[in-house]
Amino acid sequence: MSTYHFLVALAVLLFAIGLLGVMVRRNLLVVVMSLEIMVNAVVLSFVAAAAHTQTLHGAAMSFFIYVAVTCEIALAMALLVLLVRRRGSLDLAVEQELKG
Amino acid sequence: MTQAFVVFFGVLALGFAGLVLLLRQPMRAALALVAHMISLAAIYATLGVHVVALFQVLIYVGAVMVFMVYTIMLLDDRDASFKQPFSRLTLPAVVVAVALAVSLLGLLGGGPVEPPVPTAAAPADFGFMAFSLAFMKQYWFHFELATVLLLAGIVAAWTAIRESQDAA
Amino acid sequence: MTTTSLLTLLPLLPLFGFLINGLLGARLPRGVVGAVACGLPALAFVVTLLLFAQLTAGGAPLEAPLFTWAATTGFQLDAAFHFDAVTAVMCLVITGIGTLIHVYSIGYMADDEGYARYFAYLNLFLFFMLVLVLGSNLVVMFVGWEGVGLASYLLIGFWFKDAAKTAAGLKAFVVNRVGDTGFLLAAFLIQFHAGTLDFAAVNAFFTATPPSAATMTLIGVLLLIGACGKSAQIPLHVWLPDAMAGPTPVSALIHAATMVTAGVYLLARLNGLFLAAPDAMTIVAWLGGLTALVGAIMGVTQFNLKKVLAYSTMSQIGLMVMACGLGAFSVGMFHLYTHAFFKACLFLGAGAVLHALGGEEDMRRMGGLARRLPFTFGVFGLATLALCGLPPFAGFFSKDEILWMAWSAAGGSPWLWAVGSAASFLTAFYMFRAIFMTFFGSSRVSAEAAHHIHEPPLSMSAVLAVLAFGSVVAGFIGLPQFWREAFGVSAPFYDFLAPVLGHAAPREGVSHSAEWLLMLVAVGLALAGIGLAWLRYGRGAPVLAAEAEPPPGLLQPKGAQGDWFDAFYDGVLVRFVGWLSGSVLARGVEPALSAGSLSGPAAGARVLAAWFGRLQTGNLQAYVIYALLGLVLVLGWGVAHV
Repeated sequence: MSTYHFLVALAVLLFAIGLLGVMVRRNLLVVVMSLEIMVNAVVLSFVAAAAHTQTLHGAAMSFFIYVAVTCEIALAMALLVLLVRRRGSLDLAVEQELKG
Repeated sequence: MTQAFVVFFGVLALGFAGLVLLLRQPMRAALALVAHMISLAAIYATLGVHVVALFQVLIYVGAVMVFMVYTIMLLDDRDASFKQPFSRLTLPAVVVAVALAVSLLGLLGGGPVEPPVPTAAAPADFGFMAFSLAFMKQYWFHFELATVLLLAGIVAAWTAIRESQDAA
Repeated sequence: MTTTSLLTLLPLLPLFGFLINGLLGARLPRGVVGAVACGLPALAFVVTLLLFAQLTAGGAPLEAPLFTWAATTGFQLDAAFHFDAVTAVMCLVITGIGTLIHVYSIGYMADDEGYARYFAYLNLFLFFMLVLVLGSNLVVMFVGWEGVGLASYLLIGFWFKDAAKTAAGLKAFVVNRVGDTGFLLAAFLIQFHAGTLDFAAVNAFFTATPPSAATMTLIGVLLLIGACGKSAQIPLHVWLPDAMAGPTPVSALIHAATMVTAGVYLLARLNGLFLAAPDAMTIVAWLGGLTALVGAIMGVTQFNLKKVLAYSTMSQIGLMVMACGLGAFSVGMFHLYTHAFFKACLFLGAGAVLHALGGEEDMRRMGGLARRLPFTFGVFGLATLALCGLPPFAGFFSKDEILWMAWSAAGGSPWLWAVGSAASFLTAFYMFRAIFMTFFGSSRVSAEAAHHIHEPPLSMSAVLAVLAFGSVVAGFIGLPQFWREAFGVSAPFYDFLAPVLGHAAPREGVSHSAEWLLMLVAVGLALAGIGLAWLRYGRGAPVLAAEAEPPPGLLQPKGAQGDWFDAFYDGVLVRFVGWLSGSVLARGVEPALSAGSLSGPAAGARVLAAWFGRLQTGNLQAYVIYALLGLVLVLGWGVAHV
């Protein structure tokens, strides 16, 4: 299998692992980290495409992803701190208000 | 040769991602995540996409993960999620994740979706200088838009803090 | 105007009347309601005259195909109207006498609070009756058939606040339904054998290639059952006396002139089929004769004036049915036509008496009204003379011809003639009994009613006059052959119907001079009946105290009030159905059925809902799992199919 296919498969696996982390871990911080894993997997697939086709569009897209992630992490952390102060816990499995 | 490096670092990245999933303490998970990102940067460098490897380390590890570490330090992580790190729905979640991976692989992994065809005549230069020049020529407008996004992010963060201060 | 548009317009005119009066009538002034309700049937009568002119000018029946109702392979059903001689006669009777009765109703129902509703229903009835006679196939006719049953139910139970009246309406509807079953089964058999339901095609088919004699008899008997239900023949006659609970003009229109004659129309319309089923014809003839006799017997026992007329109707229609059974369809139609005049006149005259007495229907509380209501007495008397079959009134010619047919036709016999003649004798007897009890003798009217006795208003009396005149002269267009030869004239009525209605052959070895003799016998019997009635009731003899407890004897048969059919139906059929419903169905079938179809699925839905409700845990990660599960399914489908 070519490098490209390997990298795409790797990206899919990392995406799945990140997804699993979001669904399984109870600690909010670890969930955010799993989200980061997922984003990294996406970046990996873009870079693999850029390397395979030897164009720079994939790299440019990665750049913009980084911008978005930076922005997102800043806000996410701020919201996380506020949220934890309000709820008193980092645990996702406590009784929540999302119930119908 | 390149392939061996890529495979090596790929397995490494996979392993560290798994550690993020499994480690109980958030701080250790964060460190595992840092290692994962550095492995990815290594892959990028091996492929020759130096500029993205650079960004990965500088921005992702250097800014994003540091920020996350700050937050971990701020919060008390010795709560209920420490004693029981995994939710009750682990089994269905595992099933769903495996199914997703399998179906995505079936669609993308060399299956019906064709890989992109190399079209460029000459290999692109992913060095910082060359990339920046080409990037600015083609994507200057998108770059400006991204700046707006960052501005919006700053304003939002500031507003959130102000709100919490007013409420407190 | 084209034939199609005229034919389509004909039933639509009263339908418009129904819609206008039904939807808006409560808000319109009474004058407008009456004008709409009477004007539209009058227009329909004009349209009928135009169609009649076209028919006589052209010679061929008028057709108006409307639309294809249903069509599959091997079966096609068209909604189409067909206007030939028989239909023309029926339409003229329906619209003509119908309009007159509408006008009468303006006066009769003037004080009723359901004025607009009454006229709406009456117009609805006209619409359905016209559809019935205009239909060119059994299904369109059945639409009208059912519709007039509905209108009859609505009108019998018009004063719905009285439970007994609504029960009478329901009884009429249910008994009609039994007849309808016979009609439908016959229609199925006809479709099965002939492959069509169109009247002309059906008649032609059965005339040319009838299936086995047993099948023909079966079809004929089933059609007869349908006719019995609608025309109140034995054994489905029980609803007609109860139907007198409705307003008197309703009784005149529906239960004398038009709806109850629908059965006769059915027999006449399918004359080709019947002529190919001689056994069924025999049954029809004897059933008609029997009904005529039984109806007349029951008429002798009644004290309610309207019920006397109801049994009289049943009896006269029995004569019409008997004529059809003998193959003399046009004679049956002729009697239908003359009967419409004098029976409507009798009912409306009775209505005038009721109106004068403030609603009193029991003849034991009438008497001596000839002095107080001379005009009403006059028209009632003329119509009664016509009914009794005295020359030269209308009923004489038609009834005489029927009795002659009973004697002389191939399916007839002297016994049948004897039954018919006995019925005629009793008819004369009980009609004059009614007249003597109502109009002669000393007045037994209650004090407060006596103050208000008055002749009917113009709207009622004009109609009575017209109908009485018709009762006198209407018979002259259908003179029996004997008279035609005597006077050298033709019978336009029979000539008109001849191309359409077949005719059975006369019996062998019957001489024409017998006709003269039989006619004398018939007149003699009628006069004898009148004389007997005068002897018993006309001289003011104190019979009524005696009749309150009738001793068994020739003149007051046992089982007074003619309840034996009702008693049988109630005691056997109704109680059986009641037992079945209460014990078997309610206790056995219904709980299982409702458990399986109602409470079972309801419990299942509840369980399902509870189970789905548990999915909303409030756990964010659970929701993520759900969303991704959907995504996985979509991707999986993509893998499988792309």
